[in-house]
Amino acid sequence: MRVADDPKALARILIAPALIYIGAVIGVPFVLSLWFAVSDVTVSSAAGNYVGLENFRSAMGDPSFRRALRNTFLFAVASQVIVVILATTLAVALQKDFRGKWIVRLLILLPWVAPVSLGSIGWLWILDSIYSVINYGLYHWLHLCGPEPGMTACPVWLGQPSLAMASIIGVQVWRTLPLATVINLGGLSSIPQDIHDAANIDGAGFFRTMFQITIPLVLPILLVAVLFGFVFAFTDMIVVWVLTRGGPYDMTQVLASLAFFKGIDGGDLAGASAIALFLFPVLAAAAILLLRLARRAEVI
Amino acid sequence: MTISRRKLIQVAGAGAAALALPKKTLAAKKTLRILQWNHFVPAYDKWFNGQYIKEWGEKNDTEVIVDNVGIPAINPTAAAEVSAKKGHDLFMFLWPRPAYEEDVIDHGEIYQECEKKFGKPIDLAIKSTYNPKTKKYFGFSDMFVPDPINYRIDLFEQVGGNVDSWDNIRKYGKMIKDKTGVPVGIGQAAEIDTAMAMRAVLYAFGGSEQDEQGNIVLNSKNTLEAVKFVKALYQETMTPEVLSWDASSNNRAMLAGKASVVLNAISVTREGENKGMEIVDKIGLAKAAQGPTRRMGLEHVMSNFVIWKFAENIDGAKKFLVDLIGNFHRAYEASEYYNFPCFPKQVADLKETLANDKKGKPAGKYSVLADAQQWATNVGFPGYANAAIDEIYSTWVLNTMFGQASTGAMSPEDAVKEADAKCRKIWQKWKERKLL
Repeated sequence: MRVADDPKALARILIAPALIYIGAVIGVPFVLSLWFAVSDVTVSSAAGNYVGLENFRSAMGDPSFRRALRNTFLFAVASQVIVVILATTLAVALQKDFRGKWIVRLLILLPWVAPVSLGSIGWLWILDSIYSVINYGLYHWLHLCGPEPGMTACPVWLGQPSLAMASIIGVQVWRTLPLATVINLGGLSSIPQDIHDAANIDGAGFFRTMFQITIPLVLPILLVAVLFGFVFAFTDMIVVWVLTRGGPYDMTQVLASLAFFKGIDGGDLAGASAIALFLFPVLAAAAILLLRLARRAEVI
Repeated sequence: MTISRRKLIQVAGAGAAALALPKKTLAAKKTLRILQWNHFVPAYDKWFNGQYIKEWGEKNDTEVIVDNVGIPAINPTAAAEVSAKKGHDLFMFLWPRPAYEEDVIDHGEIYQECEKKFGKPIDLAIKSTYNPKTKKYFGFSDMFVPDPINYRIDLFEQVGGNVDSWDNIRKYGKMIKDKTGVPVGIGQAAEIDTAMAMRAVLYAFGGSEQDEQGNIVLNSKNTLEAVKFVKALYQETMTPEVLSWDASSNNRAMLAGKASVVLNAISVTREGENKGMEIVDKIGLAKAAQGPTRRMGLEHVMSNFVIWKFAENIDGAKKFLVDLIGNFHRAYEASEYYNFPCFPKQVADLKETLANDKKGKPAGKYSVLADAQQWATNVGFPGYANAAIDEIYSTWVLNTMFGQASTGAMSPEDAVKEADAKCRKIWQKWKERKLL
């Protein structure tokens, strides 16, 4: 009875399960990986010796790591720039009333609802070197490429470094666009209609309204979408693992996939943890910065 | 209607007993849990899961449970089991995993028992499961799968060539590509078939990751020659498709008529035969190609059963392996001659069965595999498969080296140097962990 009457105690009790859950599922593995990164544990033995920053030094001396670091930034930045542009455009379009709006919304949401591994496998077949439906169309319907003499060879989507990188960026965009669109849509819906009406009366055109009213007002929410997108792009390996496994010759390797190959397949859990945690300080700083920007934009 | 307290207790007691009794009966029966791959020849799983384990279970009063998983799930599952110290009693890897040496029992006893009953195992099995440094058998191989050359008989006839040597593959592969547009299909990607194929070239050219004593010797003249050769082979006879391949892409390419040569097990032809595909009669098999130094191929799959130290039924798992060798002829037949014996006496009629295979056309197609043991070697040749070799293999160091040079992204010299530096680092690490 006394606890039920004490709001502070009650609050602690009510929040405790969530804290315990987060601690067990995120906190413990995180602390464990911090230990792994400064030890010499292998996939076989979790009881390792402390080796300081040796795993980080070793990673930085590895050309595969440097390539993966570069690829990770390219993959994350390129995919998120495209996502922000497309999500904003889609959100603005979906705010308007038109016939079949619900089905368009459903179709946009589908990639988010489907398991990412299944979606990626679908893309693997779409981009396959032998059975690519895109290449089938380019050859049979558009006659733009093909195996016949005199024709340009069809693109090997996952076999040529630049195309392979473009492919994994494209699939990542396909995958994260729905979330960003929905978040943006929520932001757009929260802008009072009278602001738009006032702009309209003052004679503001589409672009002036978009860049001087809509985007500044929706920015705090847009930044949250960007933050989510960056975190997914920096830490996720499914798209890369399913489509290219880091190939051709490491040209699409990202830190998360490299850590997986090194730790789970190669057995070097310590080295893999160092690779996986390498960007943690950068990501944490970026998250804090984006959240602060979002809050500041909200106040303004 | 009223129920007395006495009646309620009687009914509840009877119910509880009924629930408890079957459990007790079940608990008396032992359990053996096995994890292995989805076999490339589905008939094997049909025999193993549907027939063999049931017979063995009845004879040994054991409930045998088999979990079949895809190749990509094997390593993550093993890591999870070791981390949790709980899992299957028998775990099958498709290539040696000496990194787990500390978590597995010494399998030497199983080899001894099998040797007593079924004769000596082949050297390939020992080289793939034994650590000479710690004197421990970190696994047990019941079978290996030869990795012959699959080639299009009709296309090679058109240009009057053969696949007997790497030089011929290059020469006639180019002629075929120029004439028909069908390229050679030897992987250059981050996957196991590439890993095996590239080692086949490397060893045939006299290069290797380590020498017999276990010293790193990758950066050698012979390795450089092998890399230069693969670069020429890629540029003259292949397309960038091979850079994007996974382990089954070469099967698909061959059966779709899109490759003139691939290195693969007999799963290509078996799949074609079982699906009644016309092209399969045009696909021939040949032994590993001759290189400047030797004729050498890899095994396509090297079975490595391990028994975890934390397994609940270690004795059952040991007995299961010994009995599996005792029944190996059935396993060989069920796999449609895909699984080759590590205890050769168990398939004494290997040559005859291959010669008399009814599915293969032209007749005698599979006879070429009869001496596979002579030209198949282990990952880590001429030394043993050790933890460093495992990491080099699993992180695709050699695949990347060949791919970088083939495409011109790096000079052959730089690609070899980079790979050598990686190997040395890996070597040093596992030495410090006292597994080398």
